[in-house]
Amino acid sequence: MRRLLFAVLILAACRPDGRTAGRQAQRIVSLLPSFTELLFAIGAGDRVVGRTTWCDYPPAALSIPSVGDGMPPNIEAVAARKPDLVVLYNSGPNVTAAQQLERIGIRTVLLALNRLEDLGPAARTLGRLTGLEKRADSLAMAMDSLLHQPPPTSSTSTSLAFVVWDNPPIIIGRGSYLDQLAALAGARNVFADVTAPSAQVSLETIAARNPEWIAVLSDSAAPPSFARRREWRAVRAVREERFLLLPGSLFGRPGPRSGQAVRELRALLERNGVGAQHAAPLHDRSRR
Amino acid sequence: MRWTLLGLATIGALVSSVVLGPAAVPLGDLFRSDIVWNLRAPRALLAFLVGGSLGVAGASLQALVRNPLADPFLLGLSGGAGLGAVVAIALHIPGPWALPIAAFVGALAALGLVYRMGLIGGAGGALDPRILLLGGVAVGAFAAAITTAIVSLADAAELRNAFLWLWGGLSAASWDSVLLVALYAPIPLIVLFAASRPLDLLALGEEPAGYLGADVAAVKRRVYLAASLLTAAAVAVSGVIGFVGLVVPHIARLAWGHHHRALLPAAFLGGGALLAIADTVARTVVAPRELPVGVVTALIGVPVFTLLLRRWTVA
Repeated sequence: MRRLLFAVLILAACRPDGRTAGRQAQRIVSLLPSFTELLFAIGAGDRVVGRTTWCDYPPAALSIPSVGDGMPPNIEAVAARKPDLVVLYNSGPNVTAAQQLERIGIRTVLLALNRLEDLGPAARTLGRLTGLEKRADSLAMAMDSLLHQPPPTSSTSTSLAFVVWDNPPIIIGRGSYLDQLAALAGARNVFADVTAPSAQVSLETIAARNPEWIAVLSDSAAPPSFARRREWRAVRAVREERFLLLPGSLFGRPGPRSGQAVRELRALLERNGVGAQHAAPLHDRSRR
Repeated sequence: MRWTLLGLATIGALVSSVVLGPAAVPLGDLFRSDIVWNLRAPRALLAFLVGGSLGVAGASLQALVRNPLADPFLLGLSGGAGLGAVVAIALHIPGPWALPIAAFVGALAALGLVYRMGLIGGAGGALDPRILLLGGVAVGAFAAAITTAIVSLADAAELRNAFLWLWGGLSAASWDSVLLVALYAPIPLIVLFAASRPLDLLALGEEPAGYLGADVAAVKRRVYLAASLLTAAAVAVSGVIGFVGLVVPHIARLAWGHHHRALLPAAFLGGGALLAIADTVARTVVAPRELPVGVVTALIGVPVFTLLLRRWTVA
């Protein structure tokens, strides 16, 4: 008897889901740049009716109305776009926002998107929700193949450290997407032993680990301002101005362009000479 | 005996913070290593100077407002410094020294505002300690509100990091910042040391202090300005490092009593030693990661304080 009741309860719980899953989303609000890129890549770009201020790719996304920075989402601005699906990044504040949206009858989906391996499942879920399974599947396959591609066959491995903040110094560890990008591009993150996605470290640890490159997410062509601080000059790569300045839109987020990000990072490393001391630095020293 | 112990602790703190670190430097290379010479040594000295300054500023302010809870940052300075730093980031002010200078200016603005409020309460140019405390808390809260508004309205993702900087600690230490503090701090420190005797009298109450020959109004102004200017410089080079300025003066008072002629130097050496040791622990104990130094000052300071409190109250 109890089992029967349980089965009925499960059925009852499943039914609304079963019904809505069949309905294809027509008006989508995307609350993460990566989701916007994925939606465009699977051919659902024309159904995106709302985006965040950070969603800057593809260029067509810029003509979609923005609903704010999405941190946390502005519920009323999202609802005003009359979406039938809101895609949110799975985090604490967003769970609350999703509950509020559901309460006013807007379907939501919370997706994890922290690392490369999250891309395939995210693409497939978005494909299912939009009825564009085929293109989503082939995108997901391409994304998954990134993970299984053999590492580049360079004889010497370049080392780098991702510095996301200078005071206190915060670096990227093994748990993060950027670490994956570096590995696929054939570079060794000198902080791969730090399991967290990012961590505060001492400047002297960076100096002692002596990475060949300091990688910084930056849209500007000028070296980061900490390059001119005296204490940072104890780090050889800073002294020699060996900075990899990676535009945030391409490198800062996992998405359909992750493969391109790997290729560009690899090209950057090769162009600037793995181990070749006389290669032109990325930045003109006279700028200093 | 007390002074010998304190002296040994100071030397031990400075030596260990130069010898120990997350990077392995052989003892033989200690004086040739770039890491030791350009990173550890200035960082140890800066920790010592900042810790000492906070200790003295805390001890003087506690005497001035006659409140054991007084802390160098209580009087609105951390709020002002935070606002300055966030404004510098939001306006994209360039340059490697933009943040420290903006924080210093913010702290000075808060200081001026609180000072002005303090003068309103007291008659004849005398600062009212109660208004200093209330005004400090109010100005701090006001600055924090503006800071939060800027952070939530501006589009810069790096604003979040302004808070990291504010609670940062000593990672920006270099010979430049050591030189700066070493030139700047002695002036307010001398003013405070010179006010030792009037500060002793102030403990008796403002009126008795006046009868005993202290120019109460002038002493209060001098002490408030000197202690705050000292703290503002500490914020600019190392962010808000809590706890040193609150507990070190109490520890020093337990061991040296209430005479500021001994108390202030003891608070200087004690604060400096505590911060140097705390920073060494912060750098090494979870290497290659690093702990925020404020966490360590509290973890070391509270047990020491409790122990001393027990020993002195039982005895």
